[in-house]
Amino acid sequence: MSADQNRLLIEQIRTAGENQRRLTIQGHASKSSWLPAASSDIVLALGEHSGVLQYEPEELVITARGGTSLSEINAVLAEHQQQLSCEPPQLAGDNGTLGGAVACGLSGPGRPWLGAIRDAVLGVELINGVGEYLKFGGQVMKNVAGYDVSRLQSGGWGSLGVMSVVSLRVQPAFAEECTVGASLSVDQSLSLCAQLGQRNLPITASCWHGGEFCLRLAGNQSGVAAACLALANQGLHQRQSGTGLWQQLRDHQHPFFTQSDTEAGPRRLWRVVTPPASPMPDFLTNPNDDALVMWGGGLRWLYHDDGAAVHAYSKAVGGWCWAIGESIPIDRMQAQIMGQLVKAFDPRGVFASPLGLAAGDS
Amino acid sequence: MTLTQHSAAHRAVLGKLQRLLPDDCVITDAAGLRPYETDGLTAIREMPWVVALPETEEQVTAIVRCCAEHGVAVIPRGAGTGLSGGARPHQQGVVLGLSKMAQILAVDPENRIARVQPGVRNLAITQAAEEHGLYYAPDPSSQIACSIGGNVAENAGGVHCLKYGLTVNNVLGVRMVTAAGDIVELGGAVYDNPGPDLLALLCGSEGMLGIVTEVTVALLPSPETKTVLLAAFSQVVDAGNAVAAIIAAGIIPAGMEMMDKMAVQAAEAFAKAGYPLDAEAILIIELDGADAELATLNDQVTELLRSHGAYQIDEAHDAAQQARLWKGRKSAFPAVGRLSPDYLCMDGTIPRKTLPKVLSEIDAISQTFGLAVANVFHAADGNLHPLILFDANVPGQTDKAMAMGAKILEACVAAGGTVTGEHGVGVEKLDTMCVQFTSEELAQFFRLKAALDPQALLNPGKGIPTLTRCGELGGMHVHKGRLPFPELDRF
Repeated sequence: MSADQNRLLIEQIRTAGENQRRLTIQGHASKSSWLPAASSDIVLALGEHSGVLQYEPEELVITARGGTSLSEINAVLAEHQQQLSCEPPQLAGDNGTLGGAVACGLSGPGRPWLGAIRDAVLGVELINGVGEYLKFGGQVMKNVAGYDVSRLQSGGWGSLGVMSVVSLRVQPAFAEECTVGASLSVDQSLSLCAQLGQRNLPITASCWHGGEFCLRLAGNQSGVAAACLALANQGLHQRQSGTGLWQQLRDHQHPFFTQSDTEAGPRRLWRVVTPPASPMPDFLTNPNDDALVMWGGGLRWLYHDDGAAVHAYSKAVGGWCWAIGESIPIDRMQAQIMGQLVKAFDPRGVFASPLGLAAGDS
Repeated sequence: MTLTQHSAAHRAVLGKLQRLLPDDCVITDAAGLRPYETDGLTAIREMPWVVALPETEEQVTAIVRCCAEHGVAVIPRGAGTGLSGGARPHQQGVVLGLSKMAQILAVDPENRIARVQPGVRNLAITQAAEEHGLYYAPDPSSQIACSIGGNVAENAGGVHCLKYGLTVNNVLGVRMVTAAGDIVELGGAVYDNPGPDLLALLCGSEGMLGIVTEVTVALLPSPETKTVLLAAFSQVVDAGNAVAAIIAAGIIPAGMEMMDKMAVQAAEAFAKAGYPLDAEAILIIELDGADAELATLNDQVTELLRSHGAYQIDEAHDAAQQARLWKGRKSAFPAVGRLSPDYLCMDGTIPRKTLPKVLSEIDAISQTFGLAVANVFHAADGNLHPLILFDANVPGQTDKAMAMGAKILEACVAAGGTVTGEHGVGVEKLDTMCVQFTSEELAQFFRLKAALDPQALLNPGKGIPTLTRCGELGGMHVHKGRLPFPELDRF
């Protein structure tokens, strides 16, 4: 299914502006449970505004409408042995759109080594809050003409406009991939990550959970084989569960994420982003069950009910935290700047973003 | 304009600067101001009114607050090596030079980051990280002199961008002073941040949205091994196809550079790098990685080059041989400078596949204008540097070269590219920005700017053309081979 709905989208945005209505931009709604919904009048549906517009493997660029499903993009790329190396999560089943992936800015397990989706963004065609159709960036790797409005969209959760079209840089798929692992405590795994990170190894993901540490290695065959050998000498041995594990982690289908409801009710799941070598918090009574560490230590998923303790820990190590399903805390100075930017793109406050940056949001 | 012609506001700002900073950090005399009259775009010069060289973040904040209070413009400046006039001074504003804030605050091998002040030179970061086997990847050609603050402002690139990214992909955090004089911290030693990506917005904003006072950069493990290959082709189109084939084979070289015949001949005459003079085009390819990885990669690339018509392939495995092959490419700009009294360096980026078409268009434009062009090309990432040869002493030739440059950039935009890949807009490409962006897009840029700098005091007149603008068109103008900062490699 492929359709251009720009005319309809522009009309809906203009009408909403004239009638002082607020629109919720929605792709597949796969991340709708991650943030409290903003109050809005109408859903601006992007799911039908889909289709790959241009893809030339030799150029390493794919251009598609914002509503194109990530599954479609991944399939198209796989035909040419290419991939989105930022591995955007496909939550809630096989769902998620390109626009939604950029807007939410969430990265897969390879973030420290393969980049975030914002690193892959080369250009966007944006419809702003007054219904103007604007093109920023483009389809080339290097481009410093004008402010980087394209990457600015990443993490904005739709607060600045509708991404009608997105161009992303893509990467060749790895010829070889393998997973190695060992039984380690979380502290042992963190110090190992800090040490291995300084070596020339084709690491593309890491995970610690329940006393098990795993590393994903990917690259050309000889490079991966040599790395496997070198790591075997450090006690990390090949694991068969490889691909499944990393996809589960990417899409939050790993058992760690699906155990959130206990008999005592739902538990608070925290996404804590920290400098990778930071120590673990001391408030976890049972880290083997309540923590999952990715990104070589840079991303820690924690189950914990005491929000104040998690906030204090994040701040102390120089990171930040967010309880999934609750609002994202943004530093006051940054929120002020973001609020001004929202006004610059959406002066009438048409887009009801769950970040709550618009003037009328509480 | 002399100082006495300045307003009371300007006098108040000067008084504050003199009270705030040590004597040697406020420059008002002609001899002291002279080095600040231009950046790397030396065709455009203007004596600044005053240069302030703060030594601390508190001083930067105080200067910016004072300027905001009095409505006086601030022109941030790093090392002044930029090629588009982004640091061009003027009589109405304070040049805020960050060269005295040049400390490496921390190198943290466990988190693979360095925290540095904005005046730290790009190469100095790598030098400080080397003892841990780490380095900072973006390597603009001016890296021995350019500063990290300027790199952030320009989103600086280099020859290794396709594999390792630009500044925006390698900076994790900054502290910046806003137009109102407040300090904001964006990111840190972490891999993502909440909200719209302000850090990405700041990269490449040419000092128009904030002044960087501290940068946290990501460090990478230094590659174990490098190989450099030189391949000669008898047709430009074959070289272009070889580049496409290498990428289609799933190989991302660390660097992949192309030069056309005129550039090759000029470079060889200058650098004696051993380039084949009969080649219509050459490719210089750098591969890096772990030893085991490179062993097979090298054979794979060599085979692809051969099957796409390379009639000569030289391999360099040791550092001396590699330096020799790179030397010709890195000295291409001064080498071309010997062919002609002046040249103008353009900086378009195009989709790689359009290279043969754009090169033939450049050839046609060259014939129409009657001025020769040598082409050097970051083939990996599509960034094209046509060098237009002219003689500024011949009446009308400078204007002709500039008009020709504008036509070339228009051809880049028409091919799906952009008017500037890595040199920035500054004052140089304000006019060609009008070719690339619609008036609605430009107006959106202005609203964005006003959101962060409502008084338009940070580096006014740069980066984004006003809708009514229709001024002169420029380029990197080189007279009698005298490059700005001739000691730097330019590639």
